[in-house]
Amino acid sequence: MKLWTSRSLLLRFVIMPVQCSNCEQKRAVLKRPKTGHSLCKDCFFWAFEEEIHQTITSAGLFNRGETVAIGASGGKDSTVLAHVMKLLNERYDYGLKLLLLSVDEGITGYRDDSLETVKRNQQQYELPLKIVSYEELYGWTMDAIVKQVGLKNNCTFCGVFRRQALDRGAMMLNVDKICTGHNADDVAETVLMNVLRGDIARLRRCTAISTSSEGDGAIPRCKPLKYAYEKEIVLYAYFKKLDYFSTECIYSPNAYRGHARAFLKDLESVRPSAIIDVIHSGETLSVKEGVKMPVQGTCSRCGYISSQALCKSCVLLEGLNRGLPKLGIGKHHRLHGKILAQEPLTEQEERKLKAVDF
Amino acid sequence: MCQVEEDYNGLECNQEKIPVSGLNRKCMKCKEGTAVLIIRVSDAFCRSCFKEYFIHKFRAMLGKNRVIFPQEKVLLAVSGGAASCTMLSQVQEGLSRDAPKKLRFMPGIVYIDDGGACGRSEDERQTSISQLKNIFTQTGFPYFIVPLEKVFSLPTSVLVPGTSDPDPSNPCYKQAVDKYLKEKQKLREEEAVCAVAQLNLEDSAYLPEHKLALQRLFSSLKTLSAKQEMLQTLRSLKQVEVEEMVGFHFWHNVSVPWHLYWYRQHLILHVARENSYSKVMMGESCSRLAVKLLSNIALGRGAALASDTGFSDPRFGDVVIVRPMRDYSSKEITFYNRMFHVPSVFIPGLDTKSHDKASIQRLTESFVTNLQADFPSTVSTIYRTSEKLHTVRPPQSQSTEPEPASKCLLCLCALDTTADKASAFHATLISEQLSQLRLQEGSVDLVAGSSDQCCVEDQTCGTSGCCSSKRTPVQQDLKTLLCYSCRLTVKDMAAVNTLPPYILTEAEKRQRRSQMKVEISEYLLEEDQD
Amino acid sequence: MAAPLGLHLEFGGGAELLFDGVKNHHVTLPDQSNPWDMKQLLAWIRGNMLKERPELFMQGDTVRPGILVLINDADWELMGELDYQLQDKDNVVFISTLHGG
Repeated sequence: MKLWTSRSLLLRFVIMPVQCSNCEQKRAVLKRPKTGHSLCKDCFFWAFEEEIHQTITSAGLFNRGETVAIGASGGKDSTVLAHVMKLLNERYDYGLKLLLLSVDEGITGYRDDSLETVKRNQQQYELPLKIVSYEELYGWTMDAIVKQVGLKNNCTFCGVFRRQALDRGAMMLNVDKICTGHNADDVAETVLMNVLRGDIARLRRCTAISTSSEGDGAIPRCKPLKYAYEKEIVLYAYFKKLDYFSTECIYSPNAYRGHARAFLKDLESVRPSAIIDVIHSGETLSVKEGVKMPVQGTCSRCGYISSQALCKSCVLLEGLNRGLPKLGIGKHHRLHGKILAQEPLTEQEERKLKAVDF
Repeated sequence: MCQVEEDYNGLECNQEKIPVSGLNRKCMKCKEGTAVLIIRVSDAFCRSCFKEYFIHKFRAMLGKNRVIFPQEKVLLAVSGGAASCTMLSQVQEGLSRDAPKKLRFMPGIVYIDDGGACGRSEDERQTSISQLKNIFTQTGFPYFIVPLEKVFSLPTSVLVPGTSDPDPSNPCYKQAVDKYLKEKQKLREEEAVCAVAQLNLEDSAYLPEHKLALQRLFSSLKTLSAKQEMLQTLRSLKQVEVEEMVGFHFWHNVSVPWHLYWYRQHLILHVARENSYSKVMMGESCSRLAVKLLSNIALGRGAALASDTGFSDPRFGDVVIVRPMRDYSSKEITFYNRMFHVPSVFIPGLDTKSHDKASIQRLTESFVTNLQADFPSTVSTIYRTSEKLHTVRPPQSQSTEPEPASKCLLCLCALDTTADKASAFHATLISEQLSQLRLQEGSVDLVAGSSDQCCVEDQTCGTSGCCSSKRTPVQQDLKTLLCYSCRLTVKDMAAVNTLPPYILTEAEKRQRRSQMKVEISEYLLEEDQD
Repeated sequence: MAAPLGLHLEFGGGAELLFDGVKNHHVTLPDQSNPWDMKQLLAWIRGNMLKERPELFMQGDTVRPGILVLINDADWELMGELDYQLQDKDNVVFISTLHGG
């Protein structure tokens, strides 16, 4: 009797298709990376969308009547974000005015192609699109920047400029909020990264789902996909047949972050919940009182938020324009006074900042 | 998406390896002796300066933190490994010194023999124990050798934090020192040492059924079933792409190290309490703590990081854990032991020779060690992070006497599962609900059905009341009593009822109490916290 | 032409488990036209002594990070690491600091 039971069980394992653990009717097509449950296509779509809805409502990310810019790069995350935001706005009547906001960094063979995807998305989702370019904002494309600084610190320029570019574009469009496609893997990776760098201030901030809206003039940002696994985003885009651009940036990211990413992927393969577990850790740890935190002020040149007299973007730009690309890399706060007063630097100071090691 | 963003601050540039140049380097400290090792990033030390530096650091660590009082009984947790054996040698060194820098506490040693959980034979275990006994006897300190099997006879009280100040006459360090200095004349030191050296407790006998119970406990983790399930799912998928994305390793024995860790901690705490030790010293090095900090983040232990990795860990209340070795790297320790002949015993554990992906701890260890090879400040940077953290106290535990129910049943840290709705914890609960709606509806029957298996196959249930009283679904009950991370540990177990009785009994007690509280809640006034 | 080299090798901290549990080994390296250096010694150990799981001892052509190396009781980082030229009767120690070692 016992033998019979176990054999039939085994047969069931081998031959029977798996049923969806939610509706128990349709055949499951995937195993959720996040929970391990087997789901059919429709139940997966529903769960994925519903979770993002829960994230949005429980954190109170938006208010009725607001204009919200979706940071769109043409990649999988922002494409899925745009799709789901539009869908939920209609399904649950958020009453939001949505639009797409893209940044053109000026990277030939990468961004120009991905912007084509964004333009198609604009048609597909019937959302207004605004593209702001580094060239129009800063007078420099990334291609030109890489020519001057090489491939070692180029991501610093791009990252700093992109953040401001999104803000400036959002201001031009007069939006209330920006949402970006950062997913759970991105947030978890940033937690690990900040531990590895010992950056306690950022460690504390990086798990916040939105930046505060009070004062400082910056437009609040939020991450509705904060708890969505990258793998599920890919599965969602795949089964929904969404149109997205999947090439990596040609100016590859730095090695150190690559380590954190690889580690996170390994953690996930040992225990799939590790991604969300890392975020939980980030949300619940707290910093000792008395640990120094930078005070946020504003940049005295462009008015953007900054913890120094000059914001990072203005310093980097100054460095590019003066032909001293290292000015914004590392810490040269004492030079801010000279830059503001448009004074020349001493020969010695210049020599240090000129040398770029390739 | 591109993750560089604004959070890039170029720190990486400063972290690359500095090449160490030149043979026959001189010691950076005395500038005379020939260097024999390089510590930190590229500091070369000669033999005698290294010894001085090493010994000084131990006393400096204790001096700086001022938590160990003169005449206090301090239990040294020794695993046989290099770090805890160095700790033992440093305590000996400190006690043998001439005043005024002499250490003045009264040490004892505890060793937990977990060979039964690691598949070691009786002979192997006895060999290790006799080697350790040699080391312990030479110190003249009292020692306790406790087999892990003893967890099956632990009392439930080890899961309840004690009151934090056992001796009200010792209110602060300075007063304690003054008091000691006054009493010093009366109490001759040899007497004190003699009194301490009396007790050599070796309680290595354990019941055979406990040995079996331990084996069951460590084989109850999901493996084969998960593998089968995975295979079958993979078969049902067509696209190679999807298979790859879903991941091959769905479940592992990732929780084994944690399990074992807590049982060991509970046993040490029990020995400390039984013999009125108020401090326990653990020999964790900064290399070990850096790995622990990072792996604990991966395990969801963010809220407990400060207690898990800090110098002093007050979670048990009356017995405080201190980590005096946290300023030493494993390289310093290994070199010291080798140069100055500190004996240690290599005892293979669960981790030994295991694959990188055998557990989160193993994976993190290999990640950190590899990164350290390329960026020599990795360990110290992670370690410094731990110094800037502290434990958040949830609002409900601010009353003077914390209710045990607000602490995790397993790790005794404050529960971190009361977070608001916009949190990773709630997001996970929602994901689970949304993926198994039907199952949710019928869940009561399912869970109750499976938990009855406890006594089916004529298994010995130990001395616990396993088979007595009507049992509620164990896993469901247990979950609410555990912190986020310990829930994951228990989730990886196939059969929760193989847990040692002290845990199950305490769980039932807490569960009954909270049920009772619900029943009488309408008669309670709001202010009444207890 | 270099004469055969006699070396004393020692494995500790758990690294000995990869060498049949034997801690001390006296080995003689064969003649070769160039002097023996540490890099060649490691390759020789991998080929002639390692009993199992070479990845737990080696990574690429050096030792796995977390295994400390001492040459004549001094840190090999002071001796040129892989480039150190071995001498007759040298004492080389490998100690694992890893839990999973």
